[in-house]
Amino acid sequence: MQARLEACLAAINQVVLGKDSQVRLAVTCLLARGHLLLEDLPGMGKTTLSHALARVMGLSFQRIQFTSDLLPGDILGTSVFDKQSGGFVFHPGPIFAELVLADEINRATPKSQSALLEAMEEGQVTIEGATRALPQPFFVIATQNPASQGGTFALPESQLDRFLMRLSLGYPARAAERALLLGQPRRELLPDLQPLLDHAALAAIQQAVAQVRASDALVDYVLRLAEATRSQPQFAWGLSPRGSLALLAAARAWAYLDRRDYVIPEDVQAVLPAVLGHRLREAADASGHGGGALVQWLLREVPAL
Amino acid sequence: MTAAPLIPRNSLVWLLVAQVLVILPHLTHLPLWIIGLWLACATWRVQIFRMRAGYPRGWVKMLLMLGVGFAVYFSRGSLVGLEAGVVLLIAAFILKLVEMRTRRDALVLIFLGLFAVVTSYLFEDGLLAGLYSLLPVTVLLAALIGLQQGSLVTRPWPTLRLAGSLLLQAVPVMIVLFLFFPRLPPLWSLPQPPARGTTGLADSMAPSDLASLGQSAALAFRVTFDGAPPAQAQLYWRAVTFERFDGRRWSQSHPVQLLDVPEWQPAGEPIGYSVVMQASGRPWLYTLDVPQVQDAPARLMGDFHLQLPRPVDQPLMYRALSWPEARREAQTAPASLGRALSLPETGNPRSRAWAAELVRREGEPEAIVRALLWHFNRQPYRYTLKPPAVGADIVDGFLFDTRAGFCAHYAGAMTFVLRAAGIPARVVAGYQGGEFNPTGGYLSVRQYDAHAWVEYWTPGRGWVSVDPTFQVAPERVERGLQEALGAEQEFLEDEPLSLLRFRGIGWVDRLRFSWDNLNHGWQRWVLGYQAESQARLLRQWFGRFEASHLAFGLVAAAGALLGLLALLLLKPWQRQQDPQQRAFLRFERLLARHGLVREPGEGARSFARRAASALPAQAALIEGFLQRYEAQRYAGAGGSAVELARALAELRRALPWRFSRVERRV
Repeated sequence: MQARLEACLAAINQVVLGKDSQVRLAVTCLLARGHLLLEDLPGMGKTTLSHALARVMGLSFQRIQFTSDLLPGDILGTSVFDKQSGGFVFHPGPIFAELVLADEINRATPKSQSALLEAMEEGQVTIEGATRALPQPFFVIATQNPASQGGTFALPESQLDRFLMRLSLGYPARAAERALLLGQPRRELLPDLQPLLDHAALAAIQQAVAQVRASDALVDYVLRLAEATRSQPQFAWGLSPRGSLALLAAARAWAYLDRRDYVIPEDVQAVLPAVLGHRLREAADASGHGGGALVQWLLREVPAL
Repeated sequence: MTAAPLIPRNSLVWLLVAQVLVILPHLTHLPLWIIGLWLACATWRVQIFRMRAGYPRGWVKMLLMLGVGFAVYFSRGSLVGLEAGVVLLIAAFILKLVEMRTRRDALVLIFLGLFAVVTSYLFEDGLLAGLYSLLPVTVLLAALIGLQQGSLVTRPWPTLRLAGSLLLQAVPVMIVLFLFFPRLPPLWSLPQPPARGTTGLADSMAPSDLASLGQSAALAFRVTFDGAPPAQAQLYWRAVTFERFDGRRWSQSHPVQLLDVPEWQPAGEPIGYSVVMQASGRPWLYTLDVPQVQDAPARLMGDFHLQLPRPVDQPLMYRALSWPEARREAQTAPASLGRALSLPETGNPRSRAWAAELVRREGEPEAIVRALLWHFNRQPYRYTLKPPAVGADIVDGFLFDTRAGFCAHYAGAMTFVLRAAGIPARVVAGYQGGEFNPTGGYLSVRQYDAHAWVEYWTPGRGWVSVDPTFQVAPERVERGLQEALGAEQEFLEDEPLSLLRFRGIGWVDRLRFSWDNLNHGWQRWVLGYQAESQARLLRQWFGRFEASHLAFGLVAAAGALLGLLALLLLKPWQRQQDPQQRAFLRFERLLARHGLVREPGEGARSFARRAASALPAQAALIEGFLQRYEAQRYAGAGGSAVELARALAELRRALPWRFSRVERRV
């Protein structure tokens, strides 16, 4: 099973050049049944990554471009009167896909944002009184642009918490960018990607990930990390239990990708910046949610054993 | 940036109060300008705190320092020595107040204050002084606490209360250290200034000297007898003898002349007693004749006085046994006979003539002595502390013209006449009598009990003491000086407030006796608790005992106490350490010896990988240990710590042996 996953990673890396660790983290996020927040400048390959993920994993893909005039109905779908049947017929919105790319999520109004975020949390949507289940698996990749903040609605902490990981792709390395410039356009490569997993395999993998063993000693480490965020003065607030659950779940997926059926502290440390970065805030920094220095502090100072 | 918040208000308040309290007991020996200096500095400091004034500049400080140095030099005549040193210390203690900017400065000030409290014991170590010093110590402690409190705490009283309760909690430690801390001999001794003003016997005697002693009620020593105290008239406490006479003044022979050990045989029942002696500044002990002293490094000199190697600068406690009936140098003619007969070539012709007449009339030495005493008894001699002036021949003037004087006159004159008559004689100086304290059961001897008497030598009987004063004023010997002076002379007229002036009033006496008893206890049990008494007590408690055992025991006790505290604070029994974790700690220690130190945030695997790349030859073994460790600790695989230990042992064998750590690799 892990061999197939590694084939998936290799296939995605063919398209998204030089971003091995981010790709690995993104897959980890998917395996841990979490949603992903990509925070980067435009044109860094966010959409390509999402597309490639969807194709390789054999998921249906939908993209929603968030704008300030986007309404919840545009995401969830609306009922339209059908002359033939003489009744309202529900037209599902783009959210009824297995992998949804919510592009520039911070451009939409809070009302539209929360429509998406509710769906992410519940795994179902309620439209006009009827509850409709979202497809399984359901995976949201949201992107936002940290640089231009004009006319945006920053996600509040409570909604940031819904994303398992926050990743930033960053500029490609020189060699990767050279290959990018010399090679085919990336979009053209996407249709060539073959699905390497099916739904059943993915579900089985997700099932197996949840079974990865976390020993007492390892849980103690996660607890020490959580306690450190709650007791040290440089943290504006401590990690929520959802945060520590997310950390453990992501570490399990990472260990699984590493072909192990048990978690070691290094797994926790590998996913920790992506999982905790957006959940922590420095006490000295009243508005931002950087968390980078705090994450480094946690990695360095909290005893791993 | 101002320094105002650095020294909190609370601390400053208590520091100022503490300075007053520290300086107060020193005022008896400090020049008065110190008060002015303190007022000026305290005002300046308060103004600084209120931001109305700035800190002194460098040159101002320099000027102040030089000024104080000059002032000390002019008022004390020196910059070294005890007196000047203490004045300098107090002045520095005051000046530092103005300069104090940071917490560190305030700490220096507080420690200086504690030292100044200790220096006050050099001048006064009584019970009251000891109790009083607790006050400045408490306040200094409050200042120390205030320093840690920050500027939000503004109410001073809780701080003082905390300091007081801390001091109370320290009482058991104080007692234990007092009892057990080794009494080390001083590393150096402070030269005591001669002007220290200890009243007491001097090493020479002009008649007026003892008269000034008669005006002083200062304590000379206290005696506790083993049995019932002997009769008052038997209590002749010998200090020194005066053998040389230059026509005006009697003085002690040179110590070298007194080195030979005198011959004497114990006879009769001995009297046992212990003496607590005040600092006298002289190297003599006070004893009854003929003494044997225990636990004091004293030597019995040729004239039967006890000489110490160094002057008594602090209260001294010793035990003695005396044989009052012993015969002294009865068998052999003493070496001092020549000195005991020498007189100036000329002077006092009338006394010499009278002596010749006595020899002619009486013949035998005993008869001459009897005749002399009879003379003092029958002729109109008077006992007074204010004798009229006499001419150049003081013996003649006293014996035949004024006929008024006190013990020194009588003793001096009698010795002179005896020597002129060819009988070896000398003046003995010391104390006579004392006041019995019924509350404490001891005898207090004060300076006004100073006395001089005579001893003469005859073959066969040896040295015999006689007291001519007894013939003139027997009440002096039997009931003390106050009785002897009578109504026309005021007793202790220089000390109008002394309780001793009101002797005979019942409740005053009781009060006085009780207070005196308390002070005696303080002297005997607290100040007198020095190396010997400590050793005695500890021997009594623990049997055999050595100073090194004491030091060792003290260190061991302190170590045990600290260990207990550490156990209580660290609670190692609460730290659950599973065997795998212990094995991993050993693994870490082994690699640390080879310069590989695990960072706290470094997991086992990353550490092992780092180690493997640093020690490629042992990489396989390191990896093997890691696999076992991870399997047991994280994968839940069974297996015991023995496996880990075996893997570790293999790794240890494979690694080169290191005696010490190699430098840390980064």
